[in-house]
Amino acid sequence: MGRRRQRVDPAAGARAGALPEAIAALSRSLPSGPSPEIFRRAKFDRPEAVTLAQRTSALWQLLFRVLSPLPVGNALASLALEAQAHLVKSALCSQGYPRLALAQLPEDGSQGSRELLLALSWLLARGPVPEQMLAQARVPLGDEMTVCQCEALASPGPPAPHMEAEGPVDVRRVQWLMGKLQFRWRQLVSSQQEQCALLSKIHLYTRGCHSDQSLGHLSVTEAEMLRDPEGGQQLLQTLERENQRLEAVLAWRHTELVFWRWMDTVLGTCAPEVPAAASQPTFLPWVPERGGGELELVVRELQALEEELREAVERRRAAWEAKAGGCGRGPEWSAARRASREAVEKELGALQQCWKQDSGPARPHGPHRLVRREDGAAGERDLRAAEVIRTLRSQEACLEAVLRRLQGQCRQELARLVGALPGLIWIPPPGR
Amino acid sequence: MEHAHSFSVVFRGNTPSLWLSMSIVTVQLGQCGNQIGFEVFDALLSDSHSSQGLCSKRENEAYQASCKERFFSEEENGVPIARAVLVDMEPKVINQTLSKAAQSGQWKYGQHACFCQKQGSGNNWAYGYSVHGPRHEESIMSLIRKEVEKCDSFSGFFIIMSMAGGTGSGLGAFVTQNLQDQYPNSLKMNHIIWPYGTGEVIVQNYNSILTLSHLYRSSDALLVHENDAVHKICAKLMNIKQISFSDINQVLAHQLGSVFQPTYSAESSFHYRRNPLGDLMEHLVPHPEFKMLSVRNIPHMSENSLAYSTFTWAGLLKHLRQMLISNAKMEEEVGSDCVAQASLELLVSSDPSTSASQSAGITGIDWHVRPPLSGLPPLGKMSLNKDLHFNTSVANLVILRGKDVQSADVEGFKDPALYTSWLKPVNAFNVWKTQRAFSKYEKSAVLVSNSQFLVKPLDTIVGKAWNMFASKAYIHQYTKFGIEEEDFLDSFTSLEQVVASYCNL
Repeated sequence: MGRRRQRVDPAAGARAGALPEAIAALSRSLPSGPSPEIFRRAKFDRPEAVTLAQRTSALWQLLFRVLSPLPVGNALASLALEAQAHLVKSALCSQGYPRLALAQLPEDGSQGSRELLLALSWLLARGPVPEQMLAQARVPLGDEMTVCQCEALASPGPPAPHMEAEGPVDVRRVQWLMGKLQFRWRQLVSSQQEQCALLSKIHLYTRGCHSDQSLGHLSVTEAEMLRDPEGGQQLLQTLERENQRLEAVLAWRHTELVFWRWMDTVLGTCAPEVPAAASQPTFLPWVPERGGGELELVVRELQALEEELREAVERRRAAWEAKAGGCGRGPEWSAARRASREAVEKELGALQQCWKQDSGPARPHGPHRLVRREDGAAGERDLRAAEVIRTLRSQEACLEAVLRRLQGQCRQELARLVGALPGLIWIPPPGR
Repeated sequence: MEHAHSFSVVFRGNTPSLWLSMSIVTVQLGQCGNQIGFEVFDALLSDSHSSQGLCSKRENEAYQASCKERFFSEEENGVPIARAVLVDMEPKVINQTLSKAAQSGQWKYGQHACFCQKQGSGNNWAYGYSVHGPRHEESIMSLIRKEVEKCDSFSGFFIIMSMAGGTGSGLGAFVTQNLQDQYPNSLKMNHIIWPYGTGEVIVQNYNSILTLSHLYRSSDALLVHENDAVHKICAKLMNIKQISFSDINQVLAHQLGSVFQPTYSAESSFHYRRNPLGDLMEHLVPHPEFKMLSVRNIPHMSENSLAYSTFTWAGLLKHLRQMLISNAKMEEEVGSDCVAQASLELLVSSDPSTSASQSAGITGIDWHVRPPLSGLPPLGKMSLNKDLHFNTSVANLVILRGKDVQSADVEGFKDPALYTSWLKPVNAFNVWKTQRAFSKYEKSAVLVSNSQFLVKPLDTIVGKAWNMFASKAYIHQYTKFGIEEEDFLDSFTSLEQVVASYCNL
């Protein structure tokens, strides 16, 4: 390993420990990051049995953690490796990852550690990944809530697994499920209200207990720390671990240049990628040249079959297009699609504009700590609850207006459809 | 709620607030609502104080704490105060109710929890809805708000009212609508009393359809008790000679108590369910067209007989299942000698005159019932008698309380033939089991059912109301106060819709 390194980058020999340092910092800064050893060996795709599988699956899991937008500890974390690998592939694809080789890797974690290493570096180069992950997993000491709606407007996470219905589904069953969902939603809202009431109580009862005068009262975590010293110890340990990761991130930022130079070498060891063909090449079985005449016959038959299938597909597609009136293709459709996309963008823009107007001075993003104050004094960077409430209410009003408009459009469309059928009386269901 | 585990810090003594029940606020409307409400709170608290719980002390204490938090709030001197708002247009019944509660010494109503006026409304639904309602809206809603604010954790409303009366019904419909507007995220269950078939009020059918159609829009669940049915229970099972309203209300309260007292969520749970109202609704009424619930409780007998009876879970559950299938309101209607035949293949008698809903006292029927052959019965309600022999359910909930409850076998309720085609038994049926016995019954079982049981009575009422409406009889009493013919037509339409939906199960 050392010999190889010297051959590639003799200047780095003077800083022989620089690369391991950098990789170690990276490993420490990522959540349950794989050991530095795994990173180094990932460069080599040689199937060294156990260790290759180990480091490949470790890298799949790390990529999954990085790409999954949800916090750790939920049901997603317990997905099987194949499912995680699949989600990683689709997430990378939707973000525009250029290398095809990754999409073609087997999902069982048996090979491809080098490709995974490249994918990880691509993500690291695009954005501040260790910092983002740190922010996601931080321990909030205060009671917090977010004020901005950025996360709400951001794109959703990796695509949900696609479920096929088995046969026709009774609409009543769908209504039943919708009703259950609505009950759960209402319970969620009630729970949130309950949480707020309890927070208010805690803040009220612990007035004067906090050493920091500007805060004045305890948060739930702090009160819990006092009530349960053991839990307090655990909290302390968690905070220390967080500190260590912070330091690792700083160290990483200092040494990352060495890492990137090394990654160039990794890229160099990969075979150049063939430009992607427009469609998947059909894969005929490889037949040795000197096979008997029989094998040639088989090959010709297979080729004829392939030709037949291709023609059948073309015929089907033409028939479907004629039936569907060129939906999905053709200039009419693309014009319609463009128009609807523009309409959506305009609406989104209008919505954001409407929100910006009422939001007053620009606010910092991210969570804010809740502090209850009797005297009403507020610092410069503090937000008053009344303002926040006003802003949220106006945003809500905007959204409701949009909802009502869309509902009206739906109703009009339904009425139009119904009007087209003579002799049909339309009785809408009683409003909820 | 990442901080959920931290909420045990809320200052509530030993039992963490997180584990206590969410609270239900009861709204008692009119004479009927107030009398029943009193019996309900009384039954709940006496059961909670009962020494025959057949469970450990710790268990009993958890039960009591949960029951208390759900229905009562605490005052300094320790007497529980019912979480209730009492509303009536005349003071007599409310005063009686208040004093009865205070006399018990065990609990009482809040001092400022009542709203009443000096005059009645003469059983005029329109007056209750259009005049009393808006006039007193602020005062009533303010009382309710105060009660809700007292709850640490608020689950929903339980509104007790009659369907066919004047004040209780019209005002009740108005209040429920208001609650829908002001508390859209809270759950609302209306407990309605279905009038006697041979009731005395001429316009009771008008009142009934107006009440039902309004409630269907603004309430989440309608828990129905039929006066006729409860009357029969008093007469035949409890052997009461001269049945008073108090007797009827006590039976009602017993049934409601066995539904709403604390239950466990699953066999391995460590604490009682927090949100029974929410769980119940989620299991039984998520579909907006199917909101009618019935309650059947078994066993039901006078205290004297109770001392000499023993029950097995198998026997009780078999009876309960027969009651469900045959749409019987009480166990004797099924006929005790057919219990022995517990076969799943059931044949229906095709003679309309022996329809199951008229099966009072019929014994010896060979209980083989086949579900309707054609799959879906024809649209519209053609021959109700024929189609409804077999009481099809949308969903069922069985709550078991008492000794050896874990050994009770409810497989009989998971038969797909009992349910409609679009919901599998695994989704449609739930069972809650609790060790702690209820109200001196060593074993008791209650079935809350969303099924076709009310279709026939509803259809009857709609038919009668329509006949009166066709001749415009008494309509002026309603139009005088703002209920127009349009509103009647809307009501007829919605209820026909409900009947059709249930028939098409």
